[in-house]
Amino acid sequence: MDRQEHEIRLKQIFGIDHFYDEQWEAIQRILSGERILMIQRTGFGKSLCYQYPATQFSGITVIFSPLIALMRDQVKALNSKGISARYINSEQSPEENSNTIQEALAGKVKILYIAPERQENQEWIEATRKMNLSMVVIDEAHTISVWGHDFRPTFRRIINLVKLLPQSLPVLATTATATKRVQQDIERQIGGKLTTIRGNLVRSNFQLYVIKVHSEDEKLVWLAQNLNNLDGTGLIYTGTRVDTEVYAKWLSFNGINAINYNAGHDADTRKDIENGLMQNRFKCVVSTNALGMGIDKPDIRFIIHTQIPASPIHYYQEIGRAGRDGKPTTIVLFYNEAKDENGIDEDYKLPKAFIDGARPSIERYSKAIEALKNEPLSERGLMKATNLKQTQVRVIKADLIDQGIVREVINGKTKLLEYQFGAKELDVQAFEELRKSKLKDLDAMVGYVNTTKPRMQYLCEFLDDEALVCYLNCDNTNLPKQTVALNEQWQNKLIEFRGACFPVLEVETRRSNIVNGVAASYYGVSNVGNALHRCKYENGDDFPDFLLKLTLSAFRKTFGNAGFDLVLYVPPTHSGDLVRNFATKFASVIKVTISHKLIKVRQTSEQKVFQNAYLKQDNVKDAFSYLDPNELIGKRIILIDDIFDSGATIKEIGKLLTTMGAEIIAPVTIAKTVGGDL
Amino acid sequence: MINQELTYWVALVHTPKIWTSRKNEMIAHCFRRGKTIADFFESDSFLGMEMNPQEYDLLLQTKSELPNYAFMVEKLLNQGYDIVPITSNEYSPTLKANLKYNSPIVLYTKGNKQILQEKSIAIVGSRNANETSLLFTDNVAKKASSEFKVVVSGFAKGVDKQALDSALNYKGQSIIVLPQGITTFASGMKKYYKQIIEGDVLVLSTFHPKSPWSVELAMARNSIIYGLASEIYVAQSDDKGGTWSGVCDGLKKGRMIYVRKPSDKEKCANNILIGMGANPVDVEGFPIHKTVDYEVSEGLWAVVAEAPASYGNVEGETGTSQSAQLSLPL
Repeated sequence: MDRQEHEIRLKQIFGIDHFYDEQWEAIQRILSGERILMIQRTGFGKSLCYQYPATQFSGITVIFSPLIALMRDQVKALNSKGISARYINSEQSPEENSNTIQEALAGKVKILYIAPERQENQEWIEATRKMNLSMVVIDEAHTISVWGHDFRPTFRRIINLVKLLPQSLPVLATTATATKRVQQDIERQIGGKLTTIRGNLVRSNFQLYVIKVHSEDEKLVWLAQNLNNLDGTGLIYTGTRVDTEVYAKWLSFNGINAINYNAGHDADTRKDIENGLMQNRFKCVVSTNALGMGIDKPDIRFIIHTQIPASPIHYYQEIGRAGRDGKPTTIVLFYNEAKDENGIDEDYKLPKAFIDGARPSIERYSKAIEALKNEPLSERGLMKATNLKQTQVRVIKADLIDQGIVREVINGKTKLLEYQFGAKELDVQAFEELRKSKLKDLDAMVGYVNTTKPRMQYLCEFLDDEALVCYLNCDNTNLPKQTVALNEQWQNKLIEFRGACFPVLEVETRRSNIVNGVAASYYGVSNVGNALHRCKYENGDDFPDFLLKLTLSAFRKTFGNAGFDLVLYVPPTHSGDLVRNFATKFASVIKVTISHKLIKVRQTSEQKVFQNAYLKQDNVKDAFSYLDPNELIGKRIILIDDIFDSGATIKEIGKLLTTMGAEIIAPVTIAKTVGGDL
Repeated sequence: MINQELTYWVALVHTPKIWTSRKNEMIAHCFRRGKTIADFFESDSFLGMEMNPQEYDLLLQTKSELPNYAFMVEKLLNQGYDIVPITSNEYSPTLKANLKYNSPIVLYTKGNKQILQEKSIAIVGSRNANETSLLFTDNVAKKASSEFKVVVSGFAKGVDKQALDSALNYKGQSIIVLPQGITTFASGMKKYYKQIIEGDVLVLSTFHPKSPWSVELAMARNSIIYGLASEIYVAQSDDKGGTWSGVCDGLKKGRMIYVRKPSDKEKCANNILIGMGANPVDVEGFPIHKTVDYEVSEGLWAVVAEAPASYGNVEGETGTSQSAQLSLPL
């Protein structure tokens, strides 16, 4: 069949008249069983390059994609065209995934999207033994390269699979962001006969701005002043999860319809926010850039970064989600160039810290290796055996698997890490090389902030895109520079905001009557942490009154006049009456009875000794009791503590009080930590 | 190492209804033409190999299932199992020399594959072996370990288990030949975890990785145990069952087999095997002077000849140096 005949079918199935030449080149090769790497900008129409061939093959086309939201949207669109498409990912229930697998086995599915992590699912593995497979697609293929901007260890398995697939099975790898180095790395990894098709990456509808500021407050103020003047709906990316909360609250405080979206939300909430974004229910969604949203929304009108991403390639990828309809789109990057005492730019520090802290110390790797030489362990077992944080164990695990030192073996329902016979020594050199490469990328990102070139040109050159076009549309060419006007009125507004924005303690579970509580402040971002630290670890004085005041405001704002019966407090690990005295004062102000009957039945260690949640849970499990349980039946209880960290203690007490008949348990603390403050 | 050919190898192995010997002929066909197994499947005519229509259809079916085998191989490799095809120089030369065209097409292994290249002995015998047999097993394993010979055993109760534990106890090396698929041995993998990662144990299976234990596989496995060893020591055999048929088969093929000379009071078939030509050894495993009643053994040969062979019937496989060389390309 020639192009014309295929275009007739294209019209019938997709309602599209023609392929672009570059699309047709790829499709032609795919139809004859070739392997293709396609590097094309977002909005080019990469998905048609596999969706069309998929409709022409007899069997199923499997698409490995890390973007769950994108899967959902594409599946919906395909099904509306009468093409049978499904997805398998963590968002669906096991039953839904199971149904999908059965349909695929029965030959009822043409296009199947699957998250790479599912490769470990037993039912999927079973199904792959019988499925009639016609084509494999690797979406976001840059994630298979450590030199890319979002390396995912689970994608390594997909590459191994592709290496093992028979020669004549068509394979398409796609990405919108790959430097020459990443391209070569992908080519090397996929191996075999692979043809690379590279298009130009210029996004001419982007209006690029960089706003240099000298404090965090200036970022907040610019947003409050300008956001509602921007067209349409957009995204704000912050550097940390806490900031998503702070920025969203600040914008709401200023009457801007904003919501925060982060990995801490459950799947339902995330779906709801994503739907809200699709329907333009919000002015903006504030999210961490670590979260690949992959929303299939063509008209995201602005993307604003409050922190610089790790490299120009990250940046290109993240802003790439905007303006896919080709209409004018505003892209803003903030950079706080205030210098600290060592002369380092404030906004350089966070991404630099991420790079430096990306890997645990070598001693911790050794600790993990020794533990695994002794016995095979689950991830959880390894955390317990080494007392390392989950994030650290995961990094170590991924590296050890990557270097072939350990393997993750499925043993019934548990996954065990096994040390491998003949494993090489840990290659530390590779880590150092990667670190240097990442620092270089970060410096190139700062280069983007300071460049006087057209900004799109700077990005394209970083991506080794050699297109010869005229670059315009940025504050280095034809657009005005943006500045911030921070006057007294706005400063007062910020003070007012800070006195009314309290961190939420997320502890609700189905099995317990505990509700989400509130803290007076974040531990690290105010003078509260210092005051607590002085009392607890230095002079032993009672907590100062301003903490009581702040905590009372937090409590009143959250729970209002909810009518409580009893104030309890978490008994201390060591002697000391700080929390007891604090709770007593608190109770007397709000005129609720204080009880001292919540006690420890065994010695525990201070929670901060433990680096991960499992050990923290073990430390406090069954550690508490209440002297007069009958008096708790049907009671509404306030539970006071000084610092909220993992929440393990509060949750444990919540469970205990629930079994004793408490109707509601509302935790209130002075401070909430932000991952690793203590 | 990820090698695309592994997919084709595994696909060939698990193609049903074609004998191993016939599959080895296909491999030899590729080899003689300087082609790979991938070329064989990717060529329209299977490289012009002569075959009957049924074989052709079966191979065509396998070809359509190649993507499925790719998934299977990826999973095995990801879990740290090795797949050693018969043409690999990691494949056991002893096994190839002993079984020739009946050699398994691939070995699924976990652990130190170098063990496959070492000199080896097998110690075989009943699941319900007596004290003397177990002592004999311990002695032979000790001797083998001191001579740096690998002890091959089948992970059954009795003699097998004793052989393994003794070899490890004397700091020797051991091959566990599984009567099941390699992924269904979780408890054993856990038990011998340290020995596996330290390189003293190689776990090996020639069956579909997911096959559960079965009597049929246990019987079929015996030929692999005998094939992996240069010398075979029999601790205790009944006059039927796996040990018996394995030894009879080995004798027929001219293998070097040592059988423990039992005491007069013992109820076992060891003496009959000695009568059939096996070499008698004492409880320490040392040879003892042999007096053979040839008439008895001649008579028994007839019985053995009638017994169903546990594997293949390829002509011209009498262990001559010529056929041994023929199998080398494999």
